[in-house]
Amino acid sequence: MSLTNETIRQKVEEKFGESVRAFTEESFGLLTFEVDRSKVIDLMRFLRDDETLRFNFLTTLCGVHYPDNQVEAQFAVVYHMHNWLDNVRIRFKTFLNGENPEVATATTLFLTANWMEREAFDFFGIIFTGHPDLRRILNMDEMVSHPMRKEFPMEDGGRTDKDDRYFGREPQNSNLN
Amino acid sequence: MAENIKMVEAPEGLAGEGFFATSLDKVVGLARSKSLWPLPFATSCCGIEFMATMAPHYDLARFGSERPSFSPRQADMLLVMGTIAKKMAPVLRQVYEQMAEPRWVIAVGACASSGGVFDTYSVLQGIDKVIPVDVYVPGCPPRPEQILDGIMKLQELVKNEAMSRRDSPEYKELLASYGINII
Amino acid sequence: MVSSNLDFIPILIQFVFVAVFIAGMIAVSHYVGPKRHSKNKDANFECGVKQYGNARIPFSVKYFLVAILFVLFDVEVIFLYPWAVNFRDFGMDGLWKMVMFMGLLLVGFFYIIKKGALEWE
Repeated sequence: MSLTNETIRQKVEEKFGESVRAFTEESFGLLTFEVDRSKVIDLMRFLRDDETLRFNFLTTLCGVHYPDNQVEAQFAVVYHMHNWLDNVRIRFKTFLNGENPEVATATTLFLTANWMEREAFDFFGIIFTGHPDLRRILNMDEMVSHPMRKEFPMEDGGRTDKDDRYFGREPQNSNLN
Repeated sequence: MAENIKMVEAPEGLAGEGFFATSLDKVVGLARSKSLWPLPFATSCCGIEFMATMAPHYDLARFGSERPSFSPRQADMLLVMGTIAKKMAPVLRQVYEQMAEPRWVIAVGACASSGGVFDTYSVLQGIDKVIPVDVYVPGCPPRPEQILDGIMKLQELVKNEAMSRRDSPEYKELLASYGINII
Repeated sequence: MVSSNLDFIPILIQFVFVAVFIAGMIAVSHYVGPKRHSKNKDANFECGVKQYGNARIPFSVKYFLVAILFVLFDVEVIFLYPWAVNFRDFGMDGLWKMVMFMGLLLVGFFYIIKKGALEWE
């Protein structure tokens, strides 16, 4: 008997009840749900250690910025986990406060989360409490902005010889204005 | 005797029965330009084109670049090929600074010359923001023939460079404008 | 023609000339050549990144032991080569002398094995 999305949903709801919501399967059958910020690590530990669920692999985690949401839910961290033994994937996300995006680190459970969380910090400024070495990973260390946030422009402010016409940019669609 | 043999012209000088006298600058310039050993600083696609340039079909070695070296102490020209991110810029500067004079720099490709298509927060908009560049080779990526053309232009530059240029105050000023202070 | 000692003087002159020439070249290029220094230029080359700490770390003595023991026994073999060429001329006398020589070295070899000097781990 293979592990179905209903089984996963039942077990997760049974254990976490109020803290999980919005179960959906609209992404090609991938079970997706939301979880409260404080329960993320417990959920991951439960998914990893439970004998039926056995989600032994953290595929990825990443950040998202929703500037149009209310302040309580402006940042999201999305986790993908994978059960190798039954070949089942799962996705869950938590929403974080816009002014103070903080969530507990997953490095205690999965070592790969180390660099993934550094990337989320580098690009969104999401602080992972308990992370052993939270610093920038892909951008230069002196950078002050968190580039993937919607308020920062993609273009380099210091460029001197690019003609906007060749990049299809006019005053109305340029990010720099 | 075939007619279409191309003879290289000798520099101006006094020729006689078994001897040839010319100025030292010219001889040194000739020797340097025909033996430029490259330091391939290949980061992206232009690096692949450079690999094709070094391969036998387009053969860079016949221009004197017989020994590419990855050590800056043993190379004459720094070929920067590919996108340089802002995180990589201090590394590039350090490699350039550790090269021994005389040294020249060729920026191969659009990304090294001006950032290329990557007009973003993370890409250095041209390596001439961190090191002085002698020749720019445009292209995305430039064909091996273009890279060879760039190297030939550098050879012309090298042939006509005075031996005392590296001690001159203008050179020191140029380096100082990039923050490199040679004592 | 019999060669006397005086015939080798040109070779001596050649050696002296070569030594003076090499030393002279190095000295001339040191004093006449350009000198350009800067802090970064003189730093060790570390592919452009910052250098941390010293490269000199202590390494295992087993490498040294293996090398030095090889040299010892190799020299023993070198001594065996002339004996191998003149085996018949040396006769029983020579055989006994060589066996004594090899026996002494064999004692050393047993000592090494018992002490575990050739253990790799």
